[in-house]
Amino acid sequence: MGRYTKHPFWQSLAVVVVSYALIRWGIAYLPGLVGITSAPVPASVVLQYTAIVLVGVLVWVSDNEERWTRFKEPIHAALVEPDKKVVRMSMMAVVPLLVAFATFNNVRPTISAPASLRSIHPAPPTQITFRGETIVLEGLENPLREPDLEEAAFELGKELYYQNCMPCHGDYLNAGGHYAPGFNPTPLELRGSSTIAQLTESFVFWRIAKGGPGLPREGGPWNSAMPVWEDFLTADEIWAVTLFLYDQAGIAPRTWEEEGIEE
Amino acid sequence: MGAVDLKVGGVVFGTILVFTLVANAIPQVQSDVPELIAFGAEVTAEELVAAGEGLFEGAGGCIACHAESAGARGPNLVTDYQGEGTIGQRCGDRIPGLDCKEYLYQSLTLPVDHLVDDYPPIMPALDRTMNPQQVWAVVAFLQSLGGEVTVTGADIPTEDAAGDAGGGLAAAGIPGVAGSDPVEIVNQECALCHLFAGGGIELGPPLDGLGARMTADEIRISILEPGAGVSEGYEELLGAMPATFGDRFTATQLESVVSYLSGLE
Amino acid sequence: MIQDRSWAGAGRWLLSAVVALAAGLLLAETLVAQAYVPPDYGADFPVIGSRAAVWIVAQVHLMFAAFVLGVPMFAVIAEAIALFGGEDRYDRLAKEFTRLLLVAYSATALLGGLFVFLLTTLYPALWSYLSEVFRISMWMYAGIFFAESATLYMYYYGWDQWKKGRAKLGHWGLGLLLNVWGTIALLIANSWLTFMMSPPGDLTPDTSPATVQFWSAFANATWMPINVHRLIANAVFGGAIVAAYAAYRFLKAKSDEERAHYDWMGYVGNMIAIGVFLVLPFAGYYLGREIYEFNQQMGVTMMGGFMSWLWIIQAFLIGVLFLAGNYYLWIGLGRIPGGERFAPYTKWMLLVLVVGVIVWATPHTMIADRAELAAMGGTFHPFLQPLGVMSAKNTAVNLMILTTFLSFLLYRRANKNPTVSWARTGTLSQGIVLLVCALVVLFYGIAGYFVPAIVRIGFSVYQVLAVLFTIIAVLVLDILIARGAESRGDIRWGRMPPRSQYALFVLVVTFTWLMGLMGFARSGIRQHWHVYEIVQDTSAYAATPALGYAAQIISASVVIFFLMLAFVFWIGGMIAKPALVPAAADAAAAEPVPGGSPGRSGSGADRGGGLEPGLEPLPGT
Repeated sequence: MGRYTKHPFWQSLAVVVVSYALIRWGIAYLPGLVGITSAPVPASVVLQYTAIVLVGVLVWVSDNEERWTRFKEPIHAALVEPDKKVVRMSMMAVVPLLVAFATFNNVRPTISAPASLRSIHPAPPTQITFRGETIVLEGLENPLREPDLEEAAFELGKELYYQNCMPCHGDYLNAGGHYAPGFNPTPLELRGSSTIAQLTESFVFWRIAKGGPGLPREGGPWNSAMPVWEDFLTADEIWAVTLFLYDQAGIAPRTWEEEGIEE
Repeated sequence: MGAVDLKVGGVVFGTILVFTLVANAIPQVQSDVPELIAFGAEVTAEELVAAGEGLFEGAGGCIACHAESAGARGPNLVTDYQGEGTIGQRCGDRIPGLDCKEYLYQSLTLPVDHLVDDYPPIMPALDRTMNPQQVWAVVAFLQSLGGEVTVTGADIPTEDAAGDAGGGLAAAGIPGVAGSDPVEIVNQECALCHLFAGGGIELGPPLDGLGARMTADEIRISILEPGAGVSEGYEELLGAMPATFGDRFTATQLESVVSYLSGLE
Repeated sequence: MIQDRSWAGAGRWLLSAVVALAAGLLLAETLVAQAYVPPDYGADFPVIGSRAAVWIVAQVHLMFAAFVLGVPMFAVIAEAIALFGGEDRYDRLAKEFTRLLLVAYSATALLGGLFVFLLTTLYPALWSYLSEVFRISMWMYAGIFFAESATLYMYYYGWDQWKKGRAKLGHWGLGLLLNVWGTIALLIANSWLTFMMSPPGDLTPDTSPATVQFWSAFANATWMPINVHRLIANAVFGGAIVAAYAAYRFLKAKSDEERAHYDWMGYVGNMIAIGVFLVLPFAGYYLGREIYEFNQQMGVTMMGGFMSWLWIIQAFLIGVLFLAGNYYLWIGLGRIPGGERFAPYTKWMLLVLVVGVIVWATPHTMIADRAELAAMGGTFHPFLQPLGVMSAKNTAVNLMILTTFLSFLLYRRANKNPTVSWARTGTLSQGIVLLVCALVVLFYGIAGYFVPAIVRIGFSVYQVLAVLFTIIAVLVLDILIARGAESRGDIRWGRMPPRSQYALFVLVVTFTWLMGLMGFARSGIRQHWHVYEIVQDTSAYAATPALGYAAQIISASVVIFFLMLAFVFWIGGMIAKPALVPAAADAAAAEPVPGGSPGRSGSGADRGGGLEPGLEPLPGT
C-alpha cells in the first residue's frame, strides 16, 4: 500500500480523481451540509476546473527531476515490460473506446433547449386587479398582521398551505414536495435568506395571486407551474398563507422603509 | 529539421491550437451593426416597438446600463424602479410640463439634461450614433414598457428633411456638392463662371475681394436667389447663374462658403 | 441695350453660347466625376476577405515592431551592466540581441509597407481620411526610419570597432539613441490608432479632416495610456522572445559551454519578461479607466458587453503564464546548490496558483444546458457565483503575483547562507510582511462583497498598493540580508532538463497570443466604426466578429509570426557563432578567487540588484 501512497504517479492520479469528485459532487452537496445553498456545477465548468487541476498536477510531478523520473516509471513499465502485457492490451482497447464514447456524446442529438437568461425575482407591478378590484401593491402591508388576528390567521394559513402548497413546496418549505422534481423551473424554496426573506409580503401576495401565468416577460423563458390562486382563494386566505410562510420559515418580511433606505 | 525542431514546433503549434479551441468552445457572440431602419408616415406602433426593442437590447447597447441589476450604471428601465414602476409608467411624471414622449426623446438626445437621482452624467447622446428613426423607435419601445405608445409616423422626420447633403435632390438626379472646405467648394463650383484666386473663368463678376463689395447677407442671397439682383456691368448675365445652389449645398457648406467669401478683402 | 436690339440679340446669342459652354464644362466636370469616383472600399481581398488580410498583416507587423522596440531596451541595459559593472558576458549578450534585431528590423519594415499598401488598396476612403489628418506625422514617421536604420547599423557594425574607453561610451550612447528613435516611432504610430478609438470630442462626422487640429488629434484621450502600456509590453515581449531564442539554442547546443551560456541567457530573458509583466496590469488599468472616461459605452462594451467572455480567455492565458513562469523557476532550483531545501514548498505555492487560476477563470454567467440551469435556478451558480465578480478575481490575481514573487525570493536565496547577524529576524520579517500583505489582499477582497461598487473599485487600488509595497520592501530586505552571504556553491548553468526550455516556448507563445487577443479587444470596442462615432464602417465586415473567429485570426498571425521568427533565428545563427571560447577564458581568468568566497558573491549582489542570481560568472569548465 505504501508503495502506492508514496509514489508520485498514484498520488497524482488520486489528486485528479479527488479533485474531480470535489468539483463534480463536492461543490454541489458539501455546502449543503453546513446549510449553504448550492447546486450541481454545469459540465462546462467541471471540465474547466478539472483541466486546471490536471495542468497543476503535471507541473507538480515535473518540477523536480527525481519526482519526474519516478512519475514516468509506471507509464514506462506499462508500455514496455513483458509482464504488463495485459495492462497494455487493455489500455489499447480502453483508450479508443473512451475516445469513441466522448465523440458519440458530443455529436449525439439532444432535446435540450438553448440556454437563456431567467430572472427569479421579476419586478412586481405597482398595482394589480384582484377579482375585479384594484389593489395597490406599493406600500401594502399584510392586513392580518394585527395582534388579535394573527393567531387565527396562522392556523388558517397552515391549513391552506398543507391543502394547497405542500405538494410542491414541501413539508419543510424546502421545495421538496413530491411533485417538485417534475417541474422546470423547480418550485422555489421558501426558507433561507435568498427567497421570500428578500421580498415584501405584498410581493408574495402578488406571486400567489397571479401565479405562473402572471409572470412578466423576464420571468421566462419557461412557464412556471404555479397556479393562479386568486381563482381559488380569497384575498384574506392568501394573506393568511403569506403570514404562515414567514412565521414557519422563521424570517421577517422585507419592509417598505428598508427598501427606501437601501436604494 | 531535427527532433528538437519538431518538438519545438509541436509545443508552439500545440499551445496555439489549445488557445484557439478554448476560444471556439465558448458561446460565440458577434456584435452586429445597428440595423438601418426607415419608416414612412404609416408606420405602426408595433413596428416601432419591435425595432426599438432590437436596438435597446442589441446594437443600441442600452441594456448594458439600464437593466435590472444591482449596481447598474443607469436607472432601471426594464422593470420597476424604486417603486415608481417601469419607464413607460413613470416617464410622464418625471419633468413637469413634459409629456412622456417629449421627456423620453429629450433624455435620449440630451441625456445630461434630465439626470435621474444621483446617477453620473455618463450617457452618450444617442443621436450621434443613431438616425432619427432609430431614436424614435427606442422612444416607442420605452413607452411600451408599461405605458401607451404615442409615437407615430408624424413624429419621425421624413427622409428628405432628415437626409444629408442634398438627400432629396439626389433622388431627383441632381448631384449635391462634395467637400466641406470652402476653398475647395469655391474652386469646384463657383470658379466655373467666376474668376477666383488667379484661376476660374471670366463670366460673372470676380470673387476676389468680394468681402469689400458685399456683406455676408448679400452674398448669401446672391447664391440662393441669383435672380434677385445683379452686379454693375453684368446686367446682361442676369439669370445666367443657376438657382440650384440652395438645394445642392448643405447648410454647413453654404455658411462656410458665405463666411469665406465675405472674408475676402 | 434696350435701344440696340441687334446688339442685344448678338449679346444674347453670345450669352447663351457662353452659358452653354459653362454648362458643358459643368457637365464635363460631372462626367469626369462620374467616370471616376474614388470608392470607399477597394475590391475584396481574395479568400480571406479584406478585414482578415489587414488584420493579419497589421498584427504580424505589430509583433515584429514590438520585438524590434523591446530588444534594444535590454541590449542597452545589458551593455550598461557590462560597461559599468565590468561583466563582459553581458556585452556579448547585448551583441547577440542586436544581431537578431538586424534581421527582424527589415522584416518589420517590409510588413509595415505591405500593411500600408493593403490599407490604401482595400480601405482607400479611410486611408485618405487618416492621411488628411495625419500627413505631417506620416512624413515624420518615414523620416525617423532613416535615422533609426543608420543608428542601428552603426550600433551593430561598430561594436568591435568602438570597444574601449570613451569610444565604448559613445557606442552605448548609440544604443540609447536607438531607443529614442524607436520610442518616437511608437508614439507617432500610436496616435493614429488611438485617434481611431478616441477622436477629439469636438469632431463630428461632417468635420472636414483637413480642418482637424493636428495636436488635438495626435494627443487624444487614449494616446498616453496606450504609449505606456505598449512600452511596457514591448519590454515583456522582447524578453520572452530572447528567452525563446536562448531555449532553442540550448536545445540545439552541442557543448556544455554553449548550454551554460544559453541557459543563462534564457534565464535573463525570462526574468525580464516576468518581472516587467507584473507591472503591466497597472498600465492596463490606467488604459481601461481612460477608455471609460472617454466614453462610458465603449468601456461597458469592453468589460461587460459582448466582450465579457474575452476576459475569461485572458484569465486562462495569464494563468498559463503564471504556471509556466513559476514552473521554470522551480525547475531552476534543481541547478542551484541548496535549492533542494525549498523544493517541498513549491507544492503549496502551486496550490495557491491553481486555486487562483480557478477563481480567476470562473465565469459569472455559466454555460449550461436546460437541465443544469434548472438545477441552478438561473444562470448564476448559487455557491460559485461570488467567484465570478471582480472582488474575487482581483484577490486571486494579487495572491498569484505574491506567490510568483515568493518563488523568485526562494530562487535568490537558494545558494546562500546569510551571514549578517540579523539574518533570522530579517527573514522572519520578510515572511511577516508577505503574510500581512496576503491578509490585507484577502480582507479587501472579502470586504468588497459588502460595499457598493464605487467603494469596491477603491479597494482594488489598496490591494495593488499593498502588493507593490510588499514587493519593494521585501526585495530591499532581501538584498540587505544577502550582503556578504556565504555561497553554497555556484549556479550550475546548463544543468536544466529540456522540458524547462519548452516551458519558455509556452511562455512566448502565450505572450504573443495574448498580445493578439488584447489587440482585438482594443480594436473591437470601436465596433462598427473606423473612427469611433466619426467614420462609420459600411463595408461587408462592419460587424465585430465573435471570439472564435478572432481566435482563428490571432492564431494565424501568431503562426506566421513564429515561422518568420524561425527564419530570423536561423539567419541569426548563421551570421556568426557567439564567441563562447573567450567567455570561458574570461571566466577562467576570473577564477583565481575561489568560487563561493563571501566577497565575490557580495559584490555581485551589489552590482546586479534584482538580477543578482544571473551575475554568477560562467562555470570555468
